[in-house]
Amino acid sequence: SAQEISEPATTVNASEVQAESVADGDVVLDGAGGFEHFGPDMIKGQPTAFEDDPMASLTFQDQYTSDGDYALWMHDAILLPVTVVISLFVLALLLWVVAKYRRKKNPVPSKTSHNTLIEVIWTVVPVIILVVIAVPSITLLARQYKSPPEDAITIKANGYQWYWGYEYLDNGGFEVISNMLDESDALDAGEPHQLAVDNRMVVPVGVPIRLQTFGADVIHSFGVPSLWFKLDAVPGRINERVLTIEEEGIYYGQCMELCGARHGYMPITIEARSLDDYNAWVQTQPGGMTREQALADEAAAAAPEADTEVAEEEDAGEAEVAEENASAAAV
Amino acid sequence: MATTAEGFDAHSEEHNHAHHDADHKPGFFARWFMSTNHKDIGTLYLIFAIFAGVVGGAISGAMRAELAAPGLQYLGMFVDMLGGDGSSFDQQGHMWNVLITAHGLIMVFFMVMPAMIGGFGNWFVPLMIGAPDMAFPRMNNVSFWLTAAGFFSLMFSMFVPGGVGQGAGVGWTVYAPLSTTGSVGPAVDFAIFSLHLAGAGSILGATNFITTIFNMRAPGMTLHKMPLFVWSVLVTAFLLLLALPVLAAAITMLITDRNFGTTFFDPAGGGDPVLYQHLFWFFGHPEVYIMILPGFGMISQIVATFSRKPVFGYLGMAYAMVAIGVVGFIVWAHHMYTTGLDVNTKMYFTAATMVIAVPTGIKIFSWIATMWDGSIEFKSPMVWAMGFIFLFTVGGVTGVVLANGGIDDNLHDTYYVVAHFHYVLSMGAVFSLFAGWYYWFPKMSGRWHSEFLAHVHFWLFFVGVNVVFFPMHFLGMQGMARRYPDFTAAYSYWNEVVSLGYLIVLASIGVFFVNLIYAFTAGKRAEGNYWGEGATTLEWSLSSPPPFHQFETLPVIEDHHNADDHISEKPATA
Amino acid sequence: MAGAKNHDYHILAPDIWPVVGALSALTFTTGMVMFMHNDLEMFSTSWRIVLGLGIAGLIATFYGWFAKVVKEAERGDHTPVVQLHMRYGMILFIASEVMFFVGWFWSWFDFALFPAPLEYLGDGIWQNLIGQEGAAAVLHFPPEGIDVLDPFSLPLLNTIILLCSGTTVTWAHHSLIHGDRDGLKKGLWLTIALGVLFSAIQVYEYSHADFGFGGVSYSSAFYMATGFHGFHVLVGTIFLIVCLVRTYKGHFTPRQHFGFEAAAWYWHFVDVVWLFLFISIYVWGGWGAEVH
Ligand code: HEA
Ligand code: HEA
Ligand code: CUA
Ligand SMILES: [Cu+2]
Repeated sequence: SAQEISEPATTVNASEVQAESVADGDVVLDGAGGFEHFGPDMIKGQPTAFEDDPMASLTFQDQYTSDGDYALWMHDAILLPVTVVISLFVLALLLWVVAKYRRKKNPVPSKTSHNTLIEVIWTVVPVIILVVIAVPSITLLARQYKSPPEDAITIKANGYQWYWGYEYLDNGGFEVISNMLDESDALDAGEPHQLAVDNRMVVPVGVPIRLQTFGADVIHSFGVPSLWFKLDAVPGRINERVLTIEEEGIYYGQCMELCGARHGYMPITIEARSLDDYNAWVQTQPGGMTREQALADEAAAAAPEADTEVAEEEDAGEAEVAEENASAAAV
Repeated sequence: MATTAEGFDAHSEEHNHAHHDADHKPGFFARWFMSTNHKDIGTLYLIFAIFAGVVGGAISGAMRAELAAPGLQYLGMFVDMLGGDGSSFDQQGHMWNVLITAHGLIMVFFMVMPAMIGGFGNWFVPLMIGAPDMAFPRMNNVSFWLTAAGFFSLMFSMFVPGGVGQGAGVGWTVYAPLSTTGSVGPAVDFAIFSLHLAGAGSILGATNFITTIFNMRAPGMTLHKMPLFVWSVLVTAFLLLLALPVLAAAITMLITDRNFGTTFFDPAGGGDPVLYQHLFWFFGHPEVYIMILPGFGMISQIVATFSRKPVFGYLGMAYAMVAIGVVGFIVWAHHMYTTGLDVNTKMYFTAATMVIAVPTGIKIFSWIATMWDGSIEFKSPMVWAMGFIFLFTVGGVTGVVLANGGIDDNLHDTYYVVAHFHYVLSMGAVFSLFAGWYYWFPKMSGRWHSEFLAHVHFWLFFVGVNVVFFPMHFLGMQGMARRYPDFTAAYSYWNEVVSLGYLIVLASIGVFFVNLIYAFTAGKRAEGNYWGEGATTLEWSLSSPPPFHQFETLPVIEDHHNADDHISEKPATA
Repeated sequence: MAGAKNHDYHILAPDIWPVVGALSALTFTTGMVMFMHNDLEMFSTSWRIVLGLGIAGLIATFYGWFAKVVKEAERGDHTPVVQLHMRYGMILFIASEVMFFVGWFWSWFDFALFPAPLEYLGDGIWQNLIGQEGAAAVLHFPPEGIDVLDPFSLPLLNTIILLCSGTTVTWAHHSLIHGDRDGLKKGLWLTIALGVLFSAIQVYEYSHADFGFGGVSYSSAFYMATGFHGFHVLVGTIFLIVCLVRTYKGHFTPRQHFGFEAAAWYWHFVDVVWLFLFISIYVWGGWGAEVH
């Protein structure tokens, strides 16, 4: 209810909670399928409050993908200087004009209204600047759109009004339903309210993820600032992009397309784990299995059925569907 | 009613033919409800735009109050005010969406457009080209009343069900399927028809302006001698004429999807939600230039007047606007970088979008070159114009950042975008409006505002909007999403700053109204050409206010009157 | 300056029709909303009154407004420059109409070039298989279950009818220019008859089409695009009828007859739109599909 949402922060001391739940930040795995989630000390992708670090609160979140690093570099090394310099240049010209050409200083105006050279300069120089921007910009796009390798793990993020569901298509096809934690639960867990969820999207670290998005009712958008990733979840089409996270940790994101009353309340929490941890986690899920198991299962299911031809054909059919879907999504 | 009309008609026709007094004005009702006079219609538009600006500004105040701190503070109250259930969390969330939708639509369709095109365009296009009126005086009036009708339709929408609560909560972009299957109830239909009505008014207005500008220029005024404000309205009118009908088709599809079972945007029947976005932005991107080009035109007039110099690079200035208009039609998908466009499409739109920085840069530098070696007087219109040049540049360069498809992946639908478009709109467009306002107010009303208060208004507004909108860049880069009623605690500090900034803006708008009251109660009478030597366009050859019917004998434009691009006494040193 | 008007522009007296027209438009759209939501109690009966008023107001406005324009023309207010304005106005209006149809064609080509995987479940119901098995197999346009209209029967006839009407209206125009009032009347009568015939065939075809109005993108785009064209034919026919009436009243002269020319332009525009519809929707868009 509204009351709950607007209640002031509860008195739980976040650092206490941290200390309790995960000692030393170590993660405990208890063997067969057992799995424990990261605690708040593993939070990496989240906004920084001005009070905590004024400088960090002014710019992008730290990046944890190589495309993100590149994009951040492009922004910090090219776009930001260009925009700041152009703005300051225009400001400086204006101030200069104010100082030099006020009526008192310059009572007789010139009648100049043309100067070909200067006009060529202020046409050509911006063109050059734009080309300088365009080169890394196009490079960035090309990097972002590399197609996923064979062994990429497919995870499908379904946007619902108003929560996310993560379907693990290569791991048995189970779907994790992820809802926002209410304020007291989030703070109890030592996590930021409005970013924390009950069931996280667990993904493997260092492994390319073929991340698909799909809108179940209206358009949502899967956006994670610290991974430089945003892809709309559109009804009727499956969008797909590759995402490779470089470090273990927790990364927060939110729904980034207006989707109705609770658009502000369907956050994303990604927990990136080593492949082993990921596989362990997968097995705690109903029907969940490692990719190898899934492939083996598929083969086994196909084998007894008389001729292998059929299975192959089916496989081919499926691949075609996937391809068609991808191309449908690309238009 | 028809009989009344005939009555008025007969009456004034008689006068027209018998006395033909240039300053004879019809009675109150005929003058303001049946007007066929471009200046009166312009005045109606301006009053309407100021009213809408106050409503849209008040709504943004409510929004900033809500966003001053995390948590939901006031939305429940607003829900109760509209007759909903204020304790419902969903209705509060919906209320937020209703507020931003109303704010966006009001500011765009009922404040900026009516003020720039309907208001200043109507008043000054005929005056500047030496015409007695617009080409279609009667159609001119229906344009205004259709705009007003559109505003009412939008207001109706607030009080009827629109899904989770009262009102249309779909954003000014009205994306499907949120606006179709996602919003049950009449509110969204009212909001859509609001756009139909205002759009029809604008299309008729556009034909009127184009016809007027092509056919009613005073003898000797070639296109290349036409004041830049007229050029800007001409280009704007073409954008309106070609872009609005596509929006009309798109929102008609919304109506039929909502009510008559079509599936244009419903995947269940093979429709495509992204199709709506293409159609919307094919209109929507030209629309943003529709909102700024007349401002460009006004800034050109003002900068030249107060520098006492002809506009630098007149032809370049005119054709830069044409270029912006043309290129503006082929960049629309930069609003859709995250919808799943393929990489080649993104590359194309990235490159095409950045091209627009070139003609816009030509304009910025030409304004500065106009001031260069001028004899500048810092009257209020000029300070607003200089504020415009700086702040529009800031908004423009962040646009170039967003133009990069790969960069936009992180910034799309964050407050960085909100910062960008308020710099070009709430600063660009609004600064040019106030510049035009102080430039022409004595001309329109015959009375002087207080220059002192106009400067106070400027400085308060300048500081205020920067405090409001600059920190939004930080929030956006940190990932804060748009269209959120609430945010995580880390965003608190800058949001509080932003909301405090709104109070400064509020104070400045207060000064604006005090100045208005001052002018009408105690303002000195204004002469015909009160800015003196630098003001050379035709409206300055008339009294202030101009006679009810001006130019009953058409003025003749001598050679070397306007854009004399060949005189070059001192070399420019820009 | 005050005194006689020394120019040929048309300075109009105040007029009530604009505000009446805009109010009627608002009443009409409001009535439409009420009609579309007449399941809500607050609108269940009132919609008829509001919508009726709106339509009546709009008709009154069009009639009253154009009657005035005609009166002014007859009075000699339409000097050559004012007639030039009207030419510009009409051309620009038609340009905006073209862009309106661009919107509908855009949706049509989107559906046709990037078809959705629709499986036909029978009874005018489809299912989108996106992301499911079998999607590739049903990825074509028009989707299965749509038996398109045979382009080379009634649509082709309609094409010929409209093309003929284009020539008859030109005949009328030539007659008018050469002062042949009789030819003008004949040409107009014929054009109107062809227009009515076109509309009648269109209605017949709609009512015999194998696919319904909604439910699938093919029929949505088909009916809305051809339907809006049909609506324009209707408007154009009314426009021509007005011209015919004015002909009988002796309004047009070989030198001043812009009302007629505007109608003819509009008619040609409607004609061209049809050619595009015929080629891209009926012929190309239905290529390879089952024909009804
Ligand atoms: C008046 C309105 C206006 C204007 C003029 C502009 C101008 C520009 N806009 Fe903006 N824009 C909006 C209003 C406007 N915009 C709105 C309302 C939205 C959001 C809509 C919504 O989603 O609700 C938006 C969103 C928007 C986006 C989508 C962002 C997103 O949703 O993710 C993009 C992306 O490309 C963009 C780009 C640009 C560019 C490149 C320009 C260029 O025209 C700017 C050109 C100007 C300059 C560059 C400055 C002057 C030039 C020089 C001094 C020369 C030297 C400069 C260089 C070499 C760089 N705009
Ligand atoms: C011209 C357009 C315009 C203007 C002026 C403004 C002005 C302001 N806007 Fe606006 N805003 C939009 C267009 C505009 N906005 C749009 C299109 C959106 C997106 C909506 C969506 O997401 O769908 C938006 C969204 C938006 C948001 C994001 C909401 C969200 O995403 O959740 C916020 C948040 O703070 C905000 C705040 C403000 C504030 C504080 C002002 C203040 O500057 C307001 C102060 C008041 C004025 C500046 C008006 C003064 C003018 C007059 C009184 C008329 C003068 C007339 C003459 C002189 C003739 N706006
Ligand atoms: Cu889901 Cu916004
Ligand atoms: Cu744009």
